[in-house]
Amino acid sequence: MSDAATGDAAAREPATAVHTRRELLESALALLGVAAVSGFASTRAVASEARGSTALRYFSSGEAATIDALVAQIIPSDDTPGAREMGVARFIDHALAGFMAPLAPAFRLGLAEFELKCRAQHAGAEGFAALTSEQQIAWLQQVEHTPFFNSAQQLTVLGALSMPDYGGNHNGLGWQLIGFEDLHAFTPPFGYYDRDYPGFDAAAGKS
Amino acid sequence: MSAVRYRDSTVVDFVVVGSGAAGGVLARELATSGFSTVVLEQGPRLTPADFEHDELKYWFLGAITNSDGRSPQSFRSDPEAVAKPTGMRPALWYARTVGGSSTHFTANYWRFHEIDFIERSKLGPIAGTGFEDWPITYAELEPYYSKVEWDIGVSGLAGASPFDPPRSRPFPMPPLPVKSSGVLFERGARKLGLHPFPAPMAINSQFYRGRAACISCGFCHGFACEAQAKSSTLFNMIPEAEATGRCEVRAHSYVVRVDTDAKGRATGVAYLDRAGREHFQKARAVVLAANGAETPRLLLGSASARFPDGLANSSGLVGKYLMMNYSARVSAVFEHELNEYKSVQVTRVIHDFYDADPRRGFYGGGGLDARIGPQPMMWAQRLGQEGPSWGSAFKARLREFPRNMIVLGHGTSLPVASNAVSLDPKLKDAWGRPAVRVTYKDHPDDLANARFMQDRAVEIMDAAGAQRVTRSPVAEQNFGMHLLGTCRMGNDARSSVVDRYHRTHDVPNLFLCDGSSLVTSGRGQPTMTIQALAFRAADHIARFARAGEI
Repeated sequence: MSDAATGDAAAREPATAVHTRRELLESALALLGVAAVSGFASTRAVASEARGSTALRYFSSGEAATIDALVAQIIPSDDTPGAREMGVARFIDHALAGFMAPLAPAFRLGLAEFELKCRAQHAGAEGFAALTSEQQIAWLQQVEHTPFFNSAQQLTVLGALSMPDYGGNHNGLGWQLIGFEDLHAFTPPFGYYDRDYPGFDAAAGKS
Repeated sequence: MSAVRYRDSTVVDFVVVGSGAAGGVLARELATSGFSTVVLEQGPRLTPADFEHDELKYWFLGAITNSDGRSPQSFRSDPEAVAKPTGMRPALWYARTVGGSSTHFTANYWRFHEIDFIERSKLGPIAGTGFEDWPITYAELEPYYSKVEWDIGVSGLAGASPFDPPRSRPFPMPPLPVKSSGVLFERGARKLGLHPFPAPMAINSQFYRGRAACISCGFCHGFACEAQAKSSTLFNMIPEAEATGRCEVRAHSYVVRVDTDAKGRATGVAYLDRAGREHFQKARAVVLAANGAETPRLLLGSASARFPDGLANSSGLVGKYLMMNYSARVSAVFEHELNEYKSVQVTRVIHDFYDADPRRGFYGGGGLDARIGPQPMMWAQRLGQEGPSWGSAFKARLREFPRNMIVLGHGTSLPVASNAVSLDPKLKDAWGRPAVRVTYKDHPDDLANARFMQDRAVEIMDAAGAQRVTRSPVAEQNFGMHLLGTCRMGNDARSSVVDRYHRTHDVPNLFLCDGSSLVTSGRGQPTMTIQALAFRAADHIARFARAGEI
């Protein structure tokens, strides 16, 4: 492994979870830089070993069921695969157990609150995962501006589109959804509009 | 790797702190001029085999940047407020690896224009700012811009922009192939009577000086180039410096202090090795090229009885006048696929709005470019922040990825004294050193200019036939990668930190050359100018050394 990928015990320091939606919105990089805490030398290797394994590494089975249902509402499965088929729940489980561990305590608290309030509003239901899809959507519309939902949404995006070795983007289904070809190099033309480009003509703009 | 090894106790001619865009150039120029040179780099030395298309690792896990958790920073927009730790995401972002931020930059390499150096004279003062002319002109820097293009390796087309400043040589390589975003941008801009031109990029469009042509992989911005087609100093200046047999590049060497003797001359630098042990590299002269955040931090952290406010800080301006540029963003969706994730980030630019125009009612100006918007994860994150973030509507938007592009309006930042890098009184880095505290609030003109640039971007995308155009909110920045102005150059020791040759006014054998030297911000894309300054500084420093004037 390269030097950059070597965890440094001296560098370990307390997690600095991002707590407000405002902060999250202000920064597309909100999650950036959690690696030093867990040392990501082995991040992908460990994730890779566990690839295909359904064993949970962070969540309880109850928590996992909620997360699975939640991510399936963020990127739903319809005529094409959604977050569920992409293995996003497994990615989040692995991430919080490993390279995104600093975010885990805040995320788990948020998840518990999410479930608690959901049950309080749906008497008799066995939690979010047991609701009908319509009920889930109605509930999410109430909580979509909470820090927890925002974190879940961001982790879903990461799980859908990161390299499959991290546990999500199963079989490249996330890349397939957005039309990203996972090739190492490309040659022109790259898209529709540069196919018949006649070449640059500086004089063309001066007529 | 380095062929020559120096002992710490050996007094080398130069110790250069930082191996990035400026440090790499200085090392190569000083070493080829015959001087023994040690380069100290806080990060590791990586090879092309280490670089990969892993967006999570590079953008979210701080693979090669100071967002790896070890270098926390604090931020405040109000200089009277207590700065808050930014969390793992620093306010000022840079690469910590041999090659510095030139390893992960986008490689936009337009030159500053003649006006950038004399704007204050042309426009007059701007209240509440340190708006000044540079102590050098474009004409003095021109030969060094050409040197950057030929020695570093820049692709482009001379004469393609009617707004281009005079140049003594053409580009050494033709422009990179146009992308769909470039074609659409060109089409829209021409309909409006504007003058699009092929983007000058520090990326090889053909085999050049031992390095391969670009393979159009698309992973430039925030990534290091495994094809070595991107003209990072890691691939050109650093190995050329080492090939002289006079330059040692020492990775994992985190400089914490510049020491001075009883005469007030620098004696060398103290640094921590990988295990945290302190060493002292002796040198006849010290050159700091550690970037616009770390150079002032190092000077402030080198305070002593003789220099109580920090080294080279008799002006009180070390760390002040931080400028980050403002990039106003517009995203656009078209009917057919563009596949912007393929190939380099930018292929077409306009400079029609480069100059400030008092009739607009504010100071500012800039360049607009067409580009990727960006790679999948960052793109999708932003998508969720600017529209539906979940459900079928979000999924439908995710499918627009290949049909999406963005236009960035790169604008000015005014030098404001309260915008500054300083030492946080409490927060410490992983080595126990005071962390960087950032104070920053965009000047109202910077934001007005950003809105102006954004309006122009919308017009161009509309003229190009976009189906939907989305503006990213223009708001005060709390994050930057252009780290400029914090040890500005000038002729007057009371109002600048270094002179026109990058020598500090206070310490005769201490030189500073990186983004911190800039007097004004240009219109973004500062690395080209930072490297031209580094080539020029090296010429003069070598001249002084030969004449015994250091």
